[in-house]
Amino acid sequence: MEDLGKQLSTLLMVAWLLPFFGFCIEVFGGYFKWRLTKTAAYIAVGCIGVGFLCSVVAFMQWGNATDWVVFESHEGEHHVSADHDEAAKSHDEHGAKHDEHAKEHEHGEEHADEHGEKAEGAHDSHGGHAKPAVQTAFSGQIYHLARFGELDISIDYYIDSLTLGMFMMVTLIATCIHVFAIGYMSDELTESYEDHFVHTSDGGHFKRPGRFYRFFSYMSLFCFSMLGLVLAGNIFQVFVFWELVGICSFLLIGFYVERKSASTAANKAFIVNRVGDFGFIIGLMILWTSCGTFRFDNYEDHHGHEQPGLFQMVRGNDGHVTQDGDAVVLKDVHGEPLTDASGSTKTIPYMLLVAAGLGVFCGCVGKSAQFPLQTWLPDAMEGPTPVSALVHSATMVAAGVYLAGRFFPMFLPEVLLTIAYVGCVTLFVAATIAVVATDIKRVLAYSTISQLGYMMLGIGVGGWGAGLFHLITHAFFKSLMFLCSGSVIHGCHHEQEMPKMGGLWKKMPVTAFTMLVGVIAIAGLAIPGTSIAFSGYHSKDAIVATALQFVDDNPVHILLFIVPLVTAGITAFYMFRLWFYTFAGQPRDAHVYEGCHESPSVMCGPLLVLAPFAAWCAIGGEHGKLFSILALSEPASTEVVHASHDIHTAAGSFALVAAILGTLTAYLLYGKTIVDPANIKRQFSGLHTFLVEKWRFDELYDVMFVRPSHVVGKWCAGVDKYIFDEFLHGVVRTGIRVSQWDRKFDEGIIDGLVNLVGNVTFSIGRSLHVFQTGNIRQYVMFIAVGVLMLFALLFAFSFAILA
Amino acid sequence: MAIITWRFEYKEIWRAMSLSPTLLLSVIIFLPALGALILMIFDKKAVETMRGFALAVTAITFVLTLLLLGHFNPSDPGLQPVFEVTGDELKLVQNYEVQDDGSIALSDRVISAAAIQRGVKLEWIPGWNINYQLAYDGISVPLLLLTSFISVLAMLASWSINKLHKGYLILFLLLETGMLGVFLALDFFLFYVFWEVMLLPMYFLIGIWGGPRREYAAIKFFLYTLAGSVLMLIAILMFYFGSANEALGVAATFDLTELANIGQGNVAAITFSETTQIVAFILLFIGFAIKVPTFPFHTWLPDAHVEAPTPISMILAGVLLKMGGYGIIRIAFPLCPVGAAYAAHTLVAIGAISIIYGAFAALAQTDFKRLVAYSSVSHMGYVLLGIGVWKINESTGAAIGRDYWLMGMNGAMFQMLAHGVSSAGMFFMVGVIYDRVHHRDLNQFGGLAGIMPYYSGLAAGIFFAGLGLPGLCGFIGEVFVVLSAWNFSKLLAIIAAGGVILTAGYILWTLQRVYLGPEYKGPHKDELLSNPFNGREASVAVILLIFAVVLGVYPEIMFGLMRESMASLVESLDAGYQNAVDSAMTIKTTLK
Repeated sequence: MEDLGKQLSTLLMVAWLLPFFGFCIEVFGGYFKWRLTKTAAYIAVGCIGVGFLCSVVAFMQWGNATDWVVFESHEGEHHVSADHDEAAKSHDEHGAKHDEHAKEHEHGEEHADEHGEKAEGAHDSHGGHAKPAVQTAFSGQIYHLARFGELDISIDYYIDSLTLGMFMMVTLIATCIHVFAIGYMSDELTESYEDHFVHTSDGGHFKRPGRFYRFFSYMSLFCFSMLGLVLAGNIFQVFVFWELVGICSFLLIGFYVERKSASTAANKAFIVNRVGDFGFIIGLMILWTSCGTFRFDNYEDHHGHEQPGLFQMVRGNDGHVTQDGDAVVLKDVHGEPLTDASGSTKTIPYMLLVAAGLGVFCGCVGKSAQFPLQTWLPDAMEGPTPVSALVHSATMVAAGVYLAGRFFPMFLPEVLLTIAYVGCVTLFVAATIAVVATDIKRVLAYSTISQLGYMMLGIGVGGWGAGLFHLITHAFFKSLMFLCSGSVIHGCHHEQEMPKMGGLWKKMPVTAFTMLVGVIAIAGLAIPGTSIAFSGYHSKDAIVATALQFVDDNPVHILLFIVPLVTAGITAFYMFRLWFYTFAGQPRDAHVYEGCHESPSVMCGPLLVLAPFAAWCAIGGEHGKLFSILALSEPASTEVVHASHDIHTAAGSFALVAAILGTLTAYLLYGKTIVDPANIKRQFSGLHTFLVEKWRFDELYDVMFVRPSHVVGKWCAGVDKYIFDEFLHGVVRTGIRVSQWDRKFDEGIIDGLVNLVGNVTFSIGRSLHVFQTGNIRQYVMFIAVGVLMLFALLFAFSFAILA
Repeated sequence: MAIITWRFEYKEIWRAMSLSPTLLLSVIIFLPALGALILMIFDKKAVETMRGFALAVTAITFVLTLLLLGHFNPSDPGLQPVFEVTGDELKLVQNYEVQDDGSIALSDRVISAAAIQRGVKLEWIPGWNINYQLAYDGISVPLLLLTSFISVLAMLASWSINKLHKGYLILFLLLETGMLGVFLALDFFLFYVFWEVMLLPMYFLIGIWGGPRREYAAIKFFLYTLAGSVLMLIAILMFYFGSANEALGVAATFDLTELANIGQGNVAAITFSETTQIVAFILLFIGFAIKVPTFPFHTWLPDAHVEAPTPISMILAGVLLKMGGYGIIRIAFPLCPVGAAYAAHTLVAIGAISIIYGAFAALAQTDFKRLVAYSSVSHMGYVLLGIGVWKINESTGAAIGRDYWLMGMNGAMFQMLAHGVSSAGMFFMVGVIYDRVHHRDLNQFGGLAGIMPYYSGLAAGIFFAGLGLPGLCGFIGEVFVVLSAWNFSKLLAIIAAGGVILTAGYILWTLQRVYLGPEYKGPHKDELLSNPFNGREASVAVILLIFAVVLGVYPEIMFGLMRESMASLVESLDAGYQNAVDSAMTIKTTLK
């Protein structure tokens, strides 16, 4: 098992680091004179493609070594979910069972979460005969960043089935998108690229050398950062790569640096993300100070002792949070209370742990464009379309959901409820805006935000597997749809407004067909009564079912079920609206239609590769292979909710009805056009404007934050200039004035006195010169008279005294 | 034959250097001054020769500091070099040994003061017990490396100086001597002398080679720093006269280690009273805070930077500001732990305010260089924050969560190094563009990415380092300091963490206004086109960026050097404060 951990980490590290080496080479493309060749693209595709192979090999090895326990256990899983209450009741038993396991496996790196889960599955399914627990999660250290006393920060890896699944998903989608981009970005292969969106001061279009290689170098850097994020074995490392994907997103959104809108959108994306990261840092500070480690999994410290990771500290062996008054007791590797050097139990105040969870979730809100930080993602569509497909739909924005899933054991019920409501608000707000958006990419962007909201909701109501399930399925169908939209934009010569399209399916059948696959998948359509359904149905159904189960247990939160259900209808509506608007009906702009053409095979190929995944990756639903892979990593947390069978069926039917209703409405309005949508628009013009203006969040934030910070900035600069400097100048002026007075005093009084003495002496001397005749007799006479006078005076005094 | 002879000599020199760190320390300090002396005999028209010579001097100095690094033993927390007195000779002692399992351990941590002497100590003014005393440890070695490294790069950037070359180069080298001396001096008086030695060349370098308002800036710089020096001088005298005990026949001393021992209550019968410590700490702190500079003593910095020529800005931001932080770590804290503990909250608050205030002020600037200067105020705030997070249990005097404080201290040191690299780089990047277009108005740039792509790419990298992007040096220092702060004060930690948003704001906005966009909007566009980014400039930028990456990806390279020294410093300060609390308790109980 140790070997397997090493092999897996080596393979995944190769997959992780290859794009970085690719980046290091590609970024010097200009130096290598690659401006007109596709070398950079081939390197990038090669790196990420090999990364995909490595991920698959790693998964196969992992599966073989674990005897494919992942696919065996799902039957048991189902029974557990069917009999949820019983499972909950028997939790304590599991705990006890687990302790026995722990004793047997003291030396292994056994991950406690897996243990708990295995025990649970084993207990329920096959009449109590316990399966041998297999280690399915591996963690270890890559290198040290720093050590301060007992505190220790390093770069680690943590590999479980979720990591492997994410790796395969990210590398597969990234490979497809890289290939697609070779075609999409090919007009950059020139010495003189004319940018139609930028005008120079002389009125012409801006011209610049093409930047084909630079695009691929940024993409490679992004893949490196994203894979690093997934591989991360501690929350600090997640933060590191979190920021790196952020900067890659900045570079890619602002790829057309000459466009003011692009660079502004890039800045906005990064700064809004930083707002989320501010919360993330606070979460990190709390955890770091209270727990003293960032690692997810248990680890060996530099003394060679095994120390508990964050999950073990909070959840112990059985997934329960142990409370002691207002504090949560931290646990050691055996699930016993953790003690510090002085022997007292280490605890963390309950509210502080809630705050830590909320803090980390703030980061997720920023990255996954959740309410209230959702405003950056639509603007991020300024980037080239492959970027939107990879970064802003499939991977980076999903990283927030991934982290919420990964960090699930640390979230207390209050935090999860917040997550659920944030997701709930987001999915509704974004869906309503998507209904009125006319830019094809913006519709998809809002749909992404909305779907991310679903995932968050899923995780928030305790549907850990459901949320991450939707993450994977959504990644496939949304990247597919973005690539299709890219194909449309490319075919229509950078026209993105849907009102100018229409009837394009004749011109670009492959794109239209694959897009339809994506649309059906996201809408969550299925044929009732059969198991024939596209991936979106399964995953959204899982979320809605968990939400219904949650609402069933906590009826106060009824909105958490109603809103996603209604939004499922809206989703189907706006997605079919997009498809009908673009591909069906009559051409609305002859110019665009005439110039339109199907994309070359280098672009259609990836669409055809992704389409089956988008349709069937979730085949089997919650009994399918994909869900089993994810569910194996389900954390041992008492907050996990499994929908019971009845509820599942009910929720599935509701969701399907909503989706079909939405689809029908879209068909009637945009396919058949029985009612002119323009009339509806007029009727609700107030609402329409409000939605078109994106609920006015941008204006609100501008007034609330952007302008005030500029004003405060001016104040600070003003304080420096008019207070500190004026004070200093005042001091100096006073000093100068004092010295001027000093000079006056010196010159007028002291010098005056001295001069006076000198002058008087001099004038006395001068006046005496009349006596200086040079005549000896005269001098003798002066002396004689003087002596006589002295004697006379002497006598006079003597007499006076005697008398 | 000639080659063989040369090799022989080279070996001899190498051996002499290797065997005698005493000599090495003095050579490091005075080589630049010697270079300055030799420069005097050059013909003032031989500009290129003089530049080459001065560059060679700084480069050799850098190599010598690397040699010193070779001598440095990071696992020994104490001051180095270590000698043992055997007869009349001084011999280098390896006081660590290889254990059976291959690890290296200190063989004997208790070092007898009589037999073993740390550092170089020669009598200078015996009547006042002033010594020429030099030593290095994990705190000074990284800064020493930074100093000699930035000096080489700043010298490379000095080709843009276009008047009075000889005087400039002489003053530059004198400045380097002063800076290196400050980081090596172990005698408080000697420290003060080097501190002042550095001040005068700086004054002239700004005042003669600076921009339009150079006299104003130079005088402002001089007055501020001088005010700080005077306060420091008062503190020095307080310590000096406080360290004597005539009854016991103990002479007054300027030795920083001895003074620290007294301050930490390790010397029988001599102590600095609580009041003395607090007053002295405040004096020292203001002196050093002016140098750092922190709010509200920072207003000299933007003016000095704006007016100073590019290489001097690099030195100023890269090295001079670090002296403030170094002074606080090396002198203010060890000599008066009670004062430091007393002021810890204020320190952290000032640090947090500096971070936010500097960032806000940077946001409002329209002068490129002024903006970078304010970013320095913001970034140096982290240093103060990290140093100050000393949380104390008031009843016992013991530190609460000492490892977090240790982390803060280390983070602060790292932040100084990181800022040394990133801010020097940022000033250099501003200088490159200023040399061409002769203005710095942020609203009159734009489109540089298209005109000078390599320059813009490197600049973006260096500005990202300033932004605190992971993988680059700025991140590690900032985030470690902030993480350590929660243990001390939740509110101040949150305020400090807020800096990440503002920093991203002003740096990205600057990048957008300067480098992005379709067209360059300001004057002298022709010079941009006719005068491309040259190899000399590129090499400075590339070297800085490489260091930014190395420090950001593998920070252990620096933490490894400073770990033991920092740990022992923190340990001794903790013990020192507990001593003070203990003795205060003893006095109370005796009085009862």
